[in-house]
Amino acid sequence: MTSLSANLIGSAMPSGEQLLTEAQAGLWYVQQIDLSNPILNASQYVELAGVLDVDLFRQAFAQMLEEADCLSLTFHNGAFCPSQRLDASTRPFLEILDLRSEADPASAALTLMQADTARPVDLGKGPISRFTLFRLSEDRHYWYERIHHLAIDGYGIVLVTNRVGEIYSALKSGTGTGTPFAPFAQAIDEGVAYLSDDRRRRDAEFWRNELASLPEVVSLAGGRAVSEHSFRRETRHLSTDIFSALVARAERAKVTWPDLLTALVASYCRRYAATAEIVAGVPHMGRLGSKAARVPCTLMNVLPVRFENTDYLPVDDAAVIHAKRLMACRRHGRYRSEQLRRDLGLIGGQRRLFGPLINVQPFDMPPKFDGLDVALHILGAGAVDDITFTFRGDAKTSLMMEVDSNPALYSEQDTKDHSARLISYLESALQAERLADVPLASPNERQRYLFDANATGHAVEDVTLVELIERTMHTYPDAPAVVFEGQTLTYAELDRRSLALASQLVERGAGPDRLVAVALPRSLELIIALFAILRSGAAYLPLDVSHPKERLSRILSSAQPVVILGEKNSADLFEDAHLPPSRWRQGAQRTDWPVSSPDNLAYVIYTSGSTGEPKGVMIEHRAIVNRLEWMRQHYSFGQQDRILQKTPATFDVSVWEFFLPALCSATLVVAPPEAHRDPLAIARIIRDENITTLHFVPSMLSAFMAEPSVEGLAVSRVFCSGEELTAEQRDRFHRLIKGELHNLYGPTEAAVDVSYWEASASDSSSPLPIGWPVWNTKLYVLDDHLHPLPPGVAGHLYLGGVQLARGYLGRDDLTSDRFFPDPFIDGHRIYKTGDMAKLRADGAIVYLGRSDHQVKIRGLRIELGEIEVAIMASGLVREAVVMAREDRPGDKRIVAYVVASPSLVIETLRDSISKKVPDYMMPAAFVRLDALPVTSNGKLDRRALPAPVIEMAAGRRASSPLEQLLATLFKEILELDSEPTAESDFFSLGGDSLSAVQLCLRIRTETGSDPGLGAIFEHPVICDLAKALEKAGSDEGLGPIIRLQRGHPNLAPIFLIHPAGGIAWGYRHLAQQLGGRPVFGIQSPTLSAAAPSPESLEALASAYADLICLHHDGVYHLVGWSVGGILAQAIAVELQRRQQPVGLVALLDSYPCDCWRAEPEPDETAALRALLAIAGHDPLAHPELVSKDAIIGFLKQDGSSLGGLPDAALDGVIRSVLDTNRLVRGHYHKRFDGTLTHFRAALDHKDKNLTPTLWATFCAGVETVDVTCLHPQMTSANAVHTIAPEILFRLTVIEQKGLA
Amino acid sequence: MTITLEKMRADVAAIIHEDPSEIGFDDNLMDLGLDSMRLMNLILTWQEAGVDLDFGEFAEEFTLSGWWRAIEAKRANA
Repeated sequence: MTSLSANLIGSAMPSGEQLLTEAQAGLWYVQQIDLSNPILNASQYVELAGVLDVDLFRQAFAQMLEEADCLSLTFHNGAFCPSQRLDASTRPFLEILDLRSEADPASAALTLMQADTARPVDLGKGPISRFTLFRLSEDRHYWYERIHHLAIDGYGIVLVTNRVGEIYSALKSGTGTGTPFAPFAQAIDEGVAYLSDDRRRRDAEFWRNELASLPEVVSLAGGRAVSEHSFRRETRHLSTDIFSALVARAERAKVTWPDLLTALVASYCRRYAATAEIVAGVPHMGRLGSKAARVPCTLMNVLPVRFENTDYLPVDDAAVIHAKRLMACRRHGRYRSEQLRRDLGLIGGQRRLFGPLINVQPFDMPPKFDGLDVALHILGAGAVDDITFTFRGDAKTSLMMEVDSNPALYSEQDTKDHSARLISYLESALQAERLADVPLASPNERQRYLFDANATGHAVEDVTLVELIERTMHTYPDAPAVVFEGQTLTYAELDRRSLALASQLVERGAGPDRLVAVALPRSLELIIALFAILRSGAAYLPLDVSHPKERLSRILSSAQPVVILGEKNSADLFEDAHLPPSRWRQGAQRTDWPVSSPDNLAYVIYTSGSTGEPKGVMIEHRAIVNRLEWMRQHYSFGQQDRILQKTPATFDVSVWEFFLPALCSATLVVAPPEAHRDPLAIARIIRDENITTLHFVPSMLSAFMAEPSVEGLAVSRVFCSGEELTAEQRDRFHRLIKGELHNLYGPTEAAVDVSYWEASASDSSSPLPIGWPVWNTKLYVLDDHLHPLPPGVAGHLYLGGVQLARGYLGRDDLTSDRFFPDPFIDGHRIYKTGDMAKLRADGAIVYLGRSDHQVKIRGLRIELGEIEVAIMASGLVREAVVMAREDRPGDKRIVAYVVASPSLVIETLRDSISKKVPDYMMPAAFVRLDALPVTSNGKLDRRALPAPVIEMAAGRRASSPLEQLLATLFKEILELDSEPTAESDFFSLGGDSLSAVQLCLRIRTETGSDPGLGAIFEHPVICDLAKALEKAGSDEGLGPIIRLQRGHPNLAPIFLIHPAGGIAWGYRHLAQQLGGRPVFGIQSPTLSAAAPSPESLEALASAYADLICLHHDGVYHLVGWSVGGILAQAIAVELQRRQQPVGLVALLDSYPCDCWRAEPEPDETAALRALLAIAGHDPLAHPELVSKDAIIGFLKQDGSSLGGLPDAALDGVIRSVLDTNRLVRGHYHKRFDGTLTHFRAALDHKDKNLTPTLWATFCAGVETVDVTCLHPQMTSANAVHTIAPEILFRLTVIEQKGLA
Repeated sequence: MTITLEKMRADVAAIIHEDPSEIGFDDNLMDLGLDSMRLMNLILTWQEAGVDLDFGEFAEEFTLSGWWRAIEAKRANA
């Protein structure tokens, strides 16, 4: 427990003041986060149809008002904790507004009601409630009620409303008016009793067990769940069919229908959030078995209820499991969720206790008014932090659903979609045996995204790749087919040489569905070999001789190729099978061998399996022909194209590089071996060879774009695939290179690529989608049970269509693991990619990463690409990769790897990123690399990225003065053993709402600017909070207490009370001379336009006493100049009344109020001229300065700090001068039992009868010190030379006497 | 049909799937699993049988004997 909360319990409240109940305290903090937020206004209206007896209504209302004393509560922000009191003067009354002459009375009433509900309430002043009866016509009335949630909850409003109906009906029929409400005090008493009750201990114990190992709580949208000023609402009436099915199903399962409905909605939410478990907030009335059951007050609690995945169980069994849990939670439902959040350390930042709210109100019936038809309409029911599903039943047949959402997290369309989808989910769920059988997508979404989006049917000639190649060879024999290092083969030459080799292969056993391996570096021979293999009827198997021998031998022994085209040493295990180019036949002797058909294999490419065992993917002609023909036609390839071949043959991207040119009689330009990793070499080839089309793996594209000579390159098209292409890469591409950029996606198992997206210069998608299916291809995003998912939900990506591989060579087991029957189309197959993806609303697919590498930190799905974009956008680094690492179990962190110049300062980079991504996406560590590691295929080698030395980043010491200050405050307030680091989180270190308030006050004192409680909740981390404070620093120095001198913490501080202008800055000289003591300046609350004027000088002094006590505990020393002296005396009186020890009370040329009562009231000009005095000038010496501009101009010229004040602050000073005058005139001194030390301006007051002895009757004694100056000069550097030593001398005497 | 304490106990027992003898007159019914939904259903039945108490009055003391006292008091005042 912090020292503040310890104080709280022992503190005596002023009379009539009471502590808030636990329920209220939670809401109070919510309101403190943003005082101007009206969302806690609970409001509704009752539609009364029929002839209303207005007088009886008024009477009934008045009687209810007598009983419901909570309606006249006011709330106060005391020095230590909030308090409340019943203040009959703020009791509301019934306003009656006649709208009968309006054109549209109903809508006029609605407008007025909505405007009123949107207005924040002044909790201190009250009234906190409002009631209006709108007369729409003779027989139609709206009765509007609006009450702040601190005073009442939803059930309380029902009580109040029904009570008016009850009394009205009784008065009408002349019967008794029923039982009156119990007083509000009963709720308070019960709340206090519970605090020390054994039951509370047991409840806490229950929740500790219940919420043990709670996973990160998520909801249907990511982001910070803090209520906005308003919410979105979608209202739907559920059909009677749904309601009766719900009731019947509940009966069958032997649970109540509200519990069944809650469980079904939770299942929907859990599945939408794509998590194993969801924690829903379930509102709990908290009145059963309570003495306060019939007290209008706020008792409602929100219970965090865990809903695990039970979708695989029969619905009835699952319902019982959840109903039992709900019942158990309700039994312990009095324990406050706010307290739970503190218990679990779930305060501030992104932390939350529950995601969506599910609120079922089975008996939501309108009040009864004798002789009237009544309908109830809810306008505002409290904060909507995230999303709330409310169901209102009339206990008979109908059920209404309201989906309320936080506009910061959900769009209007999202809210509509959830409403529609949830209803269709409920409809299906109520008929299903298991929820696992119910798709999350609605029938419309199913149609749209499963079928319409995949309507890719396109006629493609059913031929082999060989046939297409031979057509070109025969049609364009003289066209250049292949270019390599200055050599060119025409199609005729390619025809001749490949046919010759083919015949030789046939003799060695090649033929349909047989394999011939190729182990050649990029060369003309490689191309001839591939063409020859296909023409022999066989399929080719590319081998990379740089791979480990063991891997090669495994591949060869499983694939059993008939021949290996390559040098002998390429794989010496199979020496006999080798056929090096030197032994290739140059002319064909026969051509009459069996040819392949479209369902024979074209190639087999081995990929790494997750088990480490290489898997041979078998692709048939029909599949690759579809892929190549789609590409040729979709991108309009033609004879003029020159396509660069630079991808290793073992990577399936090379397939289109090799063969696409032969389908459009274009030219294949083969890059020299190893050139594919050399950006400079690639750039040179593109220029020298007039390349029109080439491919990059995105990380290679980044490296390429970092090459200076790339700028200004022009190509027709660049294709990317193999890993995620980011939005940043797209944008950089278009800045540097002229040409189209296309993002393709596909696993080896589906003939190279199955989806495409044009990453054009005008595309602004982020993340960049993998796009749409190619011809005759289907893309499905499905859940674990193979049901379609709606847009936005992460699921497994499945592929279907003609391009699917036949399977894995010799591994039927692995094939059946990955290839299944299509659940939606009989006789088709689908392939499970193992990639996670989600649909966009337009049907484009967004890749989310490998299913085994899904990035989720603190429950939030994080788009690492987005962070990469932010890093690259800083312009500070050349390349960046962001990944989530878990180097220590359970400690997942985002790490950024950057390639940058050695002069890069990571802090600068961090600042730049923080402007673009939310704090939860900020990398925990940055690692510099000379270059990003890549695999032999040119893909980023994630496994080669080193683990960061986290301690360095996590342990950064607080550096800026503001960070250092915050670190000190964290340490003090949280009683830490050592100073926390700059990345420390206030709430993680044990902070709670109470200590946050304390932190807030201390920051205000130390910096003079008020961060607001909200800022601490939003930025609980030191470095973030420091940044937020810097940004918000505009009103600096106008807080109610500022630190003028840090001083030594062991010395008693001196409090300097502001003069008439309200600011204490003028005491800077004095503060510096006060011998290293801590010095605080007390400033007027009137400086802030929002603050109400204090009612009296005595009240002001009392508030100052609160403030002073908060900052010091010991002997109090007070000094004040002018009006500040009057205040110092009054504060001293107040402190003595509180039995607090008072030391020095020094007045700097102050005279009692009686001297001023007769003076004329100052006007604004006089107030402005007072600024001159405040700045240390004699106003009489400057009679010419009468306008605001002239005075400000003079002060600016003079260099006075006042001249630099912003307008709002100047206005505050003027307000303070006027206000202080009013207070002084109305003040009558009480006696201070001690000595006043009076510093007299000896050169002043010559013709006025102002002497220190005027104070004699208001104290035990006056001693006078003469200072040779005028009144306005009392705080000047010269005067301070006299005053400061005198003060210090007296303090020493007081302390030596041990007056404490 | 007039309401009796035994009848109330039987109704409560039925709605929480317990045997009436298992329910003590001073047992906290919340601990036995009676929730607001079930209570409201009971109240609707009992109101039809002439009991003039509302939800809040039932909620204040959550035992059968407490309810019975409230009903008796109401009858005495009527």
